Amino acid sequence: MNKTMSHLILAVLVLMFVSSSAQTAKAPGEGPTALEVLQAADRVRNPAQPFKTTLALAEYVSGKERDRTSLIVYARQDPSSLQFNNLVRYAEPRRDAGKMVLFKGVNLWFYDPASEASVRISPQQRLLGQASEGDVLAVNLSRDYAARIIGEETLQDADRENRDCWHLDMAATTPDAVYSRIEYWVERSTYRPIKGKFYSDSGRLLKIAYYHKYQQQLGSFRPMETILIDGVNDKLATIIDNSDYLFQDIPEAWFQRDYLPRLRPE
Amino acid sequence: MTLTADLEAGILAAADPARAPIVQLSNVVKTYKAGSQDVPAVKGISLDIRSQTFTMIVGPSGSGKTTLLNLIGCIDTPTSGTITIRGQNVAKLNDNAISDFRAQHVGFIFQNFSLIPVLSAWENIEYPLMLLGMPAAERRERATSMLEEVGLADQRRHRPNQLSGGQKQRVAIARALVKGPDFVLADEPTANLDSKTGAGIINLMRRMQEQYSTTFIFSTHDDHLMSHADETFSICDGLLVGNVSGGR
Amino acid sequence: MLTLTIALRNIYRNTRRSLTTLATIALGAAAVSLFGAFITYIEYGVQTGAIQQTGHLQVFRTGYFDFGAASPAAWGMENYQAVLRLIKEDPEMKSLSTVVTPIQSLVGIVGSSENNTSKTFFGTGFVPSERDRMKQWNEYGTGSQGLKQSGLRDGDLLGGISGVGLVRILGLCRQLNLDECPTAPTVSGVGDAPARPPSVDLGELTKRDRPVGNAAQRDSEPTVDLLAATAGGAPNVVGLQITGVELQSAKELDDNYIGMNIGLAQNLVYGRGDHKATGIIVQLKRTEDMPRARARLSNLFKEHGLDLEVRDFTQLNPQYTQIIGLFGSIFSFISVIIGIVVVFTVSNAMSMSVVERTGEIGTMRAMGVRRKGIRHQFLVEGSLLGLIGATCGVVIAYIAAFGVNHSLLTWTPPGRVAPVPLILYMTGAYTLIALTWFGLAVISSLASMIPANRAGRMTVVDALRHV
Repeated sequence: MNKTMSHLILAVLVLMFVSSSAQTAKAPGEGPTALEVLQAADRVRNPAQPFKTTLALAEYVSGKERDRTSLIVYARQDPSSLQFNNLVRYAEPRRDAGKMVLFKGVNLWFYDPASEASVRISPQQRLLGQASEGDVLAVNLSRDYAARIIGEETLQDADRENRDCWHLDMAATTPDAVYSRIEYWVERSTYRPIKGKFYSDSGRLLKIAYYHKYQQQLGSFRPMETILIDGVNDKLATIIDNSDYLFQDIPEAWFQRDYLPRLRPE
Repeated sequence: MTLTADLEAGILAAADPARAPIVQLSNVVKTYKAGSQDVPAVKGISLDIRSQTFTMIVGPSGSGKTTLLNLIGCIDTPTSGTITIRGQNVAKLNDNAISDFRAQHVGFIFQNFSLIPVLSAWENIEYPLMLLGMPAAERRERATSMLEEVGLADQRRHRPNQLSGGQKQRVAIARALVKGPDFVLADEPTANLDSKTGAGIINLMRRMQEQYSTTFIFSTHDDHLMSHADETFSICDGLLVGNVSGGR
Repeated sequence: MLTLTIALRNIYRNTRRSLTTLATIALGAAAVSLFGAFITYIEYGVQTGAIQQTGHLQVFRTGYFDFGAASPAAWGMENYQAVLRLIKEDPEMKSLSTVVTPIQSLVGIVGSSENNTSKTFFGTGFVPSERDRMKQWNEYGTGSQGLKQSGLRDGDLLGGISGVGLVRILGLCRQLNLDECPTAPTVSGVGDAPARPPSVDLGELTKRDRPVGNAAQRDSEPTVDLLAATAGGAPNVVGLQITGVELQSAKELDDNYIGMNIGLAQNLVYGRGDHKATGIIVQLKRTEDMPRARARLSNLFKEHGLDLEVRDFTQLNPQYTQIIGLFGSIFSFISVIIGIVVVFTVSNAMSMSVVERTGEIGTMRAMGVRRKGIRHQFLVEGSLLGLIGATCGVVIAYIAAFGVNHSLLTWTPPGRVAPVPLILYMTGAYTLIALTWFGLAVISSLASMIPANRAGRMTVVDALRHV
């Protein structure tokens, strides 16, 4: 279960960053402020409509594949708190099919159809398994972080292509923010995030993320593949592939913990 | 005994009210239970024992003699009848009262001497005084003088197992008399002694009886002792069959 | 008093029987006394160990003791430094205590990336100098055997100590020079999922951000990562260099324990939030001051409106109470058995004495001794046997204890890891020994009651027949 959990959590992370990547065309002229970049990211991140997507996770140890999972994610933004809530359902492997995880802000519930029981997972317990993949939750960039542009750099992306990027440094502004500090590289011409580095309260690197394979989906260019490298144990890496984006009307009831046993997504 | 002394005793006996009976038995019956059987040991005896006498109780074995002595000595209680000692009916007293009575009024001399083996001669003599609650100093003084009376001053610290039979009996006599009892009960006192020693004991007892004006009640087979009797009661089959006065 | 004289002399009279009886009582008294001294020693030793580790009292936020284990960081004390100051500066507490120090408990995951091993851990953050000072506590003179100093310095936020089992599980035995450390069998981590090669060169990507070398690392000491969730729920990581290993008494602890500087623990579990502490340890000079100290602390907290609770070492170490209870039960059990043996021995000896002296009893009764007096005589004799026997027993116990205490005997108490000298703590067990002495004297008296009553009930005539 633990590895599964980590996958799901990762998936959500990716989803959040994917949806928050800035995508609108930029007006020529003066360079934008860090805040504008973030706001652009949030505008793209919020399609203002609930949607669904399929994720394929592959986990690698020292470069060798160890595990493969397929998940379906339903996402909806809460209009008042602006939090992204996510319902994740297992599709593969067969032994885990039907299991569900509900993310609501800082709360995480795991649901097993076999026992029809939902269990709350505390932040402590989210460290289990591949602990460095740990408790990665939906990050609300503009709500929880204050950003500065610290430079313009040329960065090699995941495909070894050079990109001209703004290098942003973000610091957490609320105690709920998962990462104390985030470094972000956003391509200047397209506003696409290329790379992110996420740090813990102690200043240690927790995660490195690379975003590539951008495609037009649901009205924006979004990265179809995200590579996550564990910052604490760098032998561990996970590659997440998105597919099948769909706007879908998702009832709010689906995001209630008590509703989980009755859930029959199509 | 000399004629003069005898005559003197006889005159005294007639004139002295102190020679009144010290023990009075009235129709005393004692029956034992042997299993489911009733065994009558004393079947109804009435007699008076005068004070300041050497009184003998004689009879064959099984005659109830020992039982009679036990009754007189207050170490047994009659089934019926009264026993009056110095005017007090002792048959009605409870066990504690009778024990106290014995402690004050009755001295015992046994055939087997019956000294307390762990006590010295002197302490054995002291013992009855301790029972009466006498203070230590007075006890010691009395015991010491008693020891001297019976001629055992040098043996005061000897334990009974260090004394001869005669010496032990002398200690017993001293013990019996040290508290000044109303009478002394002696059951076959010379039975375990040779004739010479026995004679000495008899003389001592006689002397003590006169000196302390006390009464000696014996049971005996000893002829020599019987010859000293002032009064003799014969018992046979639990009944009084004879009563002889004098004998001296 | 002739009764006493007669009693004493009668004891001498039958030497063999008296000696046997006295020997039984004496050996019984000695055995119980020595065992009492032994358990007193154990109690003191276990108590000393507990107080060296956890102090006498610990102060927590109300509710922590019952509920804090799931998530210690959530139960930290607000403004603990003020509470610390409050306790340290209070004149009464100052006079009673030796050490007042904060601790931070935490749970998390410890991992060794070079070995790719990881394990959950329970950790404690403490102030090393104060923790080491706590180990000096020695009110009962049983010594601080087997407890090592932590080897950490107060300002050192990199170093820590670990249980031996934990080191073994992480595969770090070699670096820490531990012997008898089996290597774990390698578990194949590669799954049998159909291998699809990744679309990128993961190795190359990873290498870009790999740190060149860790300047702060000391060469010989292995580094591990400690992962924990902060009080705010965020994941956090710190590095720890294992500078020392400390074998813990219980396997569960040994497989999970990490000790570190409180600053490091606070960095890990509080991160960017306020640094708190989960507990304050108070170690007193003397254990008997504990109720007084506890009352004083409660008053202090009430006066200042602080929502804090105080727990003592028996609550923090339930094993302590269990051990004391266990040995106490054994002691009671042994005492009862010896008591029964003494009852039978004395009763038997006195019965034989009564039978042998039947004639004597008759004589004494004839002379006017009451039944009560006869009973009294034999009771005194039985009691004397008890008194003499018990006294001899206690003397024997002291001699034997002297011998044992000056020998080289050792043993390993429960809850400890190293053998300690075996000491029979006669001085501390003084009350127990006095009670043993008194108890045996009383038992002897009671045991002679039945034979004495039998003697008292004899009829004079029957008794005299036995002369």
